[in-house]
Amino acid sequence: MSDIKGNPSIASLTELDRVVHEPARLAVMALLYVIDSADFTFLMNQTGLTWGNLSAHMSKLEEAGYIEVEKSFKGRRPNTSLRLSTRGRTAFREYVRKMKQVFKDLPA
Amino acid sequence: MSTQLDLKEIERKAFRSTYEDGLWDIYFGLIVICMSIFIYRPASGYSPMNIILALLAMFVAYSLFWAAKKYITVPRMGQVRFGDIRKKKKTTMAVFLSFVVLVQLILLGLTTLGWLDPEVSVRVNGFLKSRDLMDLTVALIGSLIVVSGMTLTAYFSDFPRGYFIAAMMALAVFLMIYLNQPAYPILIGALMIIPGTVLFFRFLKKYPLPGEAGRDE
Repeated sequence: MSDIKGNPSIASLTELDRVVHEPARLAVMALLYVIDSADFTFLMNQTGLTWGNLSAHMSKLEEAGYIEVEKSFKGRRPNTSLRLSTRGRTAFREYVRKMKQVFKDLPA
Repeated sequence: MSTQLDLKEIERKAFRSTYEDGLWDIYFGLIVICMSIFIYRPASGYSPMNIILALLAMFVAYSLFWAAKKYITVPRMGQVRFGDIRKKKKTTMAVFLSFVVLVQLILLGLTTLGWLDPEVSVRVNGFLKSRDLMDLTVALIGSLIVVSGMTLTAYFSDFPRGYFIAAMMALAVFLMIYLNQPAYPILIGALMIIPGTVLFFRFLKKYPLPGEAGRDE
């Protein structure tokens, strides 16, 4: 343990945001980071996740306050629009910064 | 590759996926066919019916495009709103296109004034001696007008197939004016519609309706 405490670049790995770090959520967050908003179908097509899988990840991101969910009706069909919240944008930027730092510090 | 480049790629791929349905190709192909009615000069003389028929056909083409986007593409692909980069590009495109249209209107105005002025008309007729040379000049100007607008649209809309559409539309306008044969633009329009239709069927296969894929909302 003392080794980890003495090595800040390794210690920074343990500080990574686990909500963002999960690959499927990272894919969703990266996509939502570069667009304004999208519905479930679009996110599913772009990420290749199944409906149930995406729904589960969305719930986690919503719990963390990283996404904003807007439910509405398009005609008679329900429509769920999702966008990254300010908190989510900050978390994603911070995650990218930390990951860059980690890989920068790793020996080749 | 840097992270910044990866994010740009994600955004570009997401944006370009909205063109996967081939509907723009079909729509512009139909527009070219409509234009053939508009520009064709019948032996009996050009009549306002040309304009009325062309406008009606264009309205039908746009209605089909709009309905297909709304009832076929969006339910399969989903809805997306892009960020500030795209909004800025859209504004820049509007500014550039307005400038192009303004230049075209000024040119059109000057040409009309020139034709109405007997002195200028005689000078132009003297320069463009034969009817053939006159048609060639008008055809070239017409195709340049179309290609400039369409190329700008393709560039700012990040729509690579748009360059092909621009070239085909320019060729169609050139042949329409120069040869005055609607068969050529109709053929070119079909050449634009065919790849669009192939893309459209590929899109239907790739993106089934959410219900068809066993999902529930």
